[in-house]
Amino acid sequence: MRTENPVLIIGGGPAGLRAAVDLSEMGIEVILVEKRNELGGAPVRWKYKTLAPMMRPTEEVMNPLIEHVEKSELVKVYKNSIVEEAKGNAGNFVIRIKNGLDNRVESLNVSAIIVATGFEHFDARIDPRYGYGKNPNVIGIHELEAMLKSGRVVKHDGQPPERIAFIFCVGSRDRATNPWCCTVCCGVSIKQAIELKEILPDSQIYMIYMDVRTFGLWEKLYWKSMEEYGINYIRGRVSEIYYTGEKLLVKGEDTLVRGPFEVLFDMVVLAVGMEPGQGTKQVAKALDLAINEFGFLEPKHPNIHHDSSKEGIFLAGACVAPMSVEEAIAEGSAAAMQVVKLLHRLAKPIEAR
Amino acid sequence: MSKKSKKKGAFIIEREYIDDQRIIEPEHLKLEEVDMSGRWGVLVLPRTIEEFNHSLYEEIKNHPRGRNIHKCWQCGNCTAACPVAEENPLFNPRYFIHIVKMGYKLELEKFKDYIYLCGSCGRCSEVCPKGVDPSGVMEAIGTVLRRYKL
Amino acid sequence: MSDMNTVKISDKEELEIKTEQAKLFERSMFAAKSHLSYGTVEEYLKMLRKMRELEKQGEIEVFHVTDEFEPVTVKTLSGREKKIPTIELWQHKSCGQCGHIPGYVTALYWIMSNLGIPYVDDTNQTSCTAWNYYGSGTSNPVALTAVFLRNMHVAWEKNAYPLIHCGTSYGDYKEVRFLLVMNRDIREKVRAILKKIDRDVVVPEELVHYSEWLHVMRDKIAERRKYDVSGVTVAVHAACHTYKLMPEDYTYSEDILDGIRPAPTTSVALALGAKVADYRNWYDCCGFGFRHILTEREISRSFAYFRKVQPIVKETKADVIITHDTGCVTTLDKSQVVPLAHGYKETIPVLSDSQFAALAMGAHPFIVCQLHWHIADWRNLLNKMGIDWERYKQDYKRYIEEIKKGLRKPDFIKPPSRRLPPRKNS
Ligand SMILES: Cc1cc2nc3c(=O)[nH]c(=O)nc-3n(C[C@H](O)[C@H](O)[C@H](O)COP(=O)(O)OP(=O)(O)OC[C@H]3O[C@@H](n4cnc5c(N)ncnc54)[C@H](O)[C@@H]3O)c2cc1C
Ligand code: SF4
Ligand code: SF4
Repeated sequence: MRTENPVLIIGGGPAGLRAAVDLSEMGIEVILVEKRNELGGAPVRWKYKTLAPMMRPTEEVMNPLIEHVEKSELVKVYKNSIVEEAKGNAGNFVIRIKNGLDNRVESLNVSAIIVATGFEHFDARIDPRYGYGKNPNVIGIHELEAMLKSGRVVKHDGQPPERIAFIFCVGSRDRATNPWCCTVCCGVSIKQAIELKEILPDSQIYMIYMDVRTFGLWEKLYWKSMEEYGINYIRGRVSEIYYTGEKLLVKGEDTLVRGPFEVLFDMVVLAVGMEPGQGTKQVAKALDLAINEFGFLEPKHPNIHHDSSKEGIFLAGACVAPMSVEEAIAEGSAAAMQVVKLLHRLAKPIEAR
Repeated sequence: MSKKSKKKGAFIIEREYIDDQRIIEPEHLKLEEVDMSGRWGVLVLPRTIEEFNHSLYEEIKNHPRGRNIHKCWQCGNCTAACPVAEENPLFNPRYFIHIVKMGYKLELEKFKDYIYLCGSCGRCSEVCPKGVDPSGVMEAIGTVLRRYKL
Repeated sequence: MSDMNTVKISDKEELEIKTEQAKLFERSMFAAKSHLSYGTVEEYLKMLRKMRELEKQGEIEVFHVTDEFEPVTVKTLSGREKKIPTIELWQHKSCGQCGHIPGYVTALYWIMSNLGIPYVDDTNQTSCTAWNYYGSGTSNPVALTAVFLRNMHVAWEKNAYPLIHCGTSYGDYKEVRFLLVMNRDIREKVRAILKKIDRDVVVPEELVHYSEWLHVMRDKIAERRKYDVSGVTVAVHAACHTYKLMPEDYTYSEDILDGIRPAPTTSVALALGAKVADYRNWYDCCGFGFRHILTEREISRSFAYFRKVQPIVKETKADVIITHDTGCVTTLDKSQVVPLAHGYKETIPVLSDSQFAALAMGAHPFIVCQLHWHIADWRNLLNKMGIDWERYKQDYKRYIEEIKKGLRKPDFIKPPSRRLPPRKNS
């Protein structure tokens, strides 16, 4: 048993980074493989301005993790790379890392693997009712994050929007698309609505929701948005967005008055859900991991995320189920702990087992 | 003889579903010598909500007892506790708050006389989880509606 | 899409909207996952497979779209390819058509004759009776299926492929075919009924609406265009019963309306060179609402006017609404009377796609297209198309006078002679 082999972490988002930080701080060597050309996962890639629920700037949360990993001598980072293949078992996996830019392949031995390949946003073009990708000024929450970060929220004509609708559960909780709840998009939308109101105090903001699922302490955001920022809530779903050539006609029902509405908006923000992306699918195939009916990686025990269907391979973050950054970070730590436990066990003489 | 039916649009089969305000029943209507008075010329205006108008809402927020209306999240605790609502299905403090907030004019017109049925017992304000003081909001709505002679 | 990808934040800075990992938009993927009217696309495809099996077992006969009908293939919402027969058609007429908008069917016949397409205009066709069914809930699946099969058998005997004019018949037939194939009980009951009239169970492989035929023939039609319609803007209304009853089986095309909305009719207008305007209530019913036109006249007409006609006129520069179902043409057209009497100003002519195409091809606006039965004013439209309707009107008056005086017989549109012989000893 070769416990001196480094630990492989696939995915450099909040979960993977946290696992890398924890392991390296315990003196364990880490190989971090990230598909894209930068670390940080979704929060960095989509330029989140702040993180719900406390609205801390994303950098405050993500930069220490990224800096630690990039500086640490114990962490070797492979960017633009994927793991093509993994053979062997706990203690000694032989893996092949492929660089997507120059197609170079490198073979390495690792002792354990943490999969933290995260999620991708639901592509709202798949559900044509919103006209996303076709109607101007229909954007996703991930795109709004970047605008908020830049400090300027504008329509395609460069003018600030006056009336803005957020539509919850886009692509989520729907048989035709994804039947699950993405857990964070209610909270994220509300956070963004507050930030919007700070940038554009005269704007009118409407949250079109089916349920408001601001779990745990995220509830505070919900109260604050109504009580301090005067954000309006309409219970219902939207059947169609029609671009009049000038504005967006949003058709829906206000289920509290039992009546259809067709109201003009300047901008519509879609709370697009989370789904297991191509990256997670790729890893599942390369490592031969079980996936559940929804396409997320399936843990060995339903209530314990970190154990995968295979010994020596651990799971963390949004590749297992939709979750928040705080949870993804905790799962990264939890997976690191499992790796330490495994290495400890393998290091012991056989008879002691 | 007037061609107008006794109750506006009484002959419409699904009459109960249509608010009075939506029915146009012409007493005299002719086009190119064809008489379309009464039943033959009836039009029913659409009920789709086309605008959210918050002007009344703003005024109610400025009323000393209506100032917490924006905190309402439509849970219905108030209506559940309200003795008037127990008796009268058309009296619903939760609903009144919503239509005022969203500015649904047709609905407000329909319910304007019911708002005064509030007995000011304060049961709703006791149970409201958000501190809206719906009892006070009923008073504020009544005052503002009177101001507009609605 | 490309111009929406960036938003200017300042003079120097641009923000990219939608950058990486753009999956190809796949309408069929959405549709395939969707639960459509009768369940899923999979169920629908299962039904078609079962139809083949029943045929193999000899339980039913399937009326195939063989090469003799010179089929053209289209894509349906389910992603399945559907064969549209183009010649030797059995005209399955619509009840309301002849009474309300006779020009609808004559225009179609005229186009076919003009293109040299043989067809059968059978007097031995019966109403599909779906009118009863959707209108009042009377009738029942067995009776509906029996009427369906009876008509199909007549067409089969004549060896002409059924082309269904009415959206309702088309939708109803798709529904009852599903029931028939999936339900042994119905098959047995219907077989017994058919036996009494010396007929058997013959199920068409494809159920084809005439708008699908026009869709596949659009280029041939455009070739024979006589008037330039590039200055004309049309607003298309698609009939609920054609694309919302068993939506899996209606024609869609990636390059028409992004493949999100049905292709026929829009495709014909585009092929002819007209502009197509979009409008806010595209998906809404025309107001006919089936039962509603019978029992809720007031709502039906108000809906047609306030939800379709008025927004179309107010928001688009459309010169005409074109649609492809009897009920829709009638409702959208006739419902303009009362509002106009009330002083509402918005009005727009309403034609079927066949009438519009025939006009563009040079058909007589009155003898063939019978526009004089239409309520909303069509004169501006004809002017825009460059059709000298005054002259045609004089011509038509003369024609009527001559018939009255017994100097001539009414013109009948004669189909080109058939190539397929009727089936023997059936
Ligand atoms: C718009 C939006 C806003 C959000 N805002 C908040 C917020 O304010 N607060 C909050 O708590 N949560 C928020 N979330 C949730 C948060 O983004 C996720 O919880 C978090 O990103 C999950 O972290 P992760 O590490 O599991 O996955 P990810 O962040 O998705 O990271 C996965 C990483 O793995 C890489 N990868 C994927 N596949 C492979 C592969 N095959 N090989 C190698 N690398 C691969 C990816 O490139 C990525 O860098 C938000 C979510 C959305 C949709
Ligand atoms: S109890 Fe309070 S929060 Fe709930 S509906 Fe009534 S007023 Fe609104
Ligand atoms: S104060 Fe008015 S609204 Fe509130 S419970 Fe009493 S009667 Fe009902």
